Amino acid sequence: MPIKILSVDDSRTIRLIVGRSLRPYDCVLWEAANGEEGLAVAVREKPDLILLDVTMPVMDGVTMLARLKEDPALKAIPVVMLTAESGRDNVITIARLGVCDYLIKPFKEEQLIDKVGRAVQLQKKEAAAPVAAPAPVVCF
Amino acid sequence: MNAQTCSLDIRHYLGAHLVDVFQTMLSINVTAVTDGRPPTFAERVTGSVGFGGNQVTGAVYLNLSARLASQIAAAMLRLPPDETIGETEVNDVIGECTNMLAGGLKSALCDKGCDCAVSTPAIIRGTSFVIESLPDVQRELLVFDYNGVRFTVEVHIKFNQTN
Repeated sequence: MPIKILSVDDSRTIRLIVGRSLRPYDCVLWEAANGEEGLAVAVREKPDLILLDVTMPVMDGVTMLARLKEDPALKAIPVVMLTAESGRDNVITIARLGVCDYLIKPFKEEQLIDKVGRAVQLQKKEAAAPVAAPAPVVCF
Repeated sequence: MNAQTCSLDIRHYLGAHLVDVFQTMLSINVTAVTDGRPPTFAERVTGSVGFGGNQVTGAVYLNLSARLASQIAAAMLRLPPDETIGETEVNDVIGECTNMLAGGLKSALCDKGCDCAVSTPAIIRGTSFVIESLPDVQRELLVFDYNGVRFTVEVHIKFNQTN
């Protein structure tokens, strides 16, 4: 079964980079341009992982995350936050929100795959061989 | 909290951060230009992101020629440098680059005790516009070079004196 991943970011460029990074892996990717759209896709598709931007129009990532955590059907979905804000307080705030992990922009595609691989078991499309499992992370 | 507590070497921080953003996301090397001579643009693309909080307000601007903006978009999207790219795609890439610059500056300010939030990016395109700052706003202009083509990052920042 392919891994179901939802990328929520108002930047089409970032969604494109996410899609390009995940292309070699056996996964299905959904995209949403803000938290409101992201919630709708999450309800409909029940993804295995959500990659979530913080600052977005309509509904930001923090609000979307809070809504996910309020919903018994969605609260267990691991969320990796993608943010351009690396400050100490911001990182603590994000951790307290109940995310699985976070990735600071700018990032290299290998870093993204590493974070995703820690949250879900990625497999290469061709060989369907599991990616070498890095140290697991504990989701908050 | 006052301006003294918020002290941050903005030029030094942003100079290093921009090089990191371009190297990490675009795999291109840019260098800071020290003679301070800013370029003139026939057609200009400017990304802007505002930031604001109780102690500090301001904006970050990334100014490039339309041609360089298109080349940078091609690098980010991994397209050939001369590929024709639509304005929407170029705007999105330049907006995201500006967002990363402003997000880093915001984080550095927050770590210095100046909590603030950032806006979503906006793009200005044109041939003859000027961005001016108010008299009491600190303006920092950094000039960079990529393959002989110059571009600039501009920060307008105001520290509010509070007790």
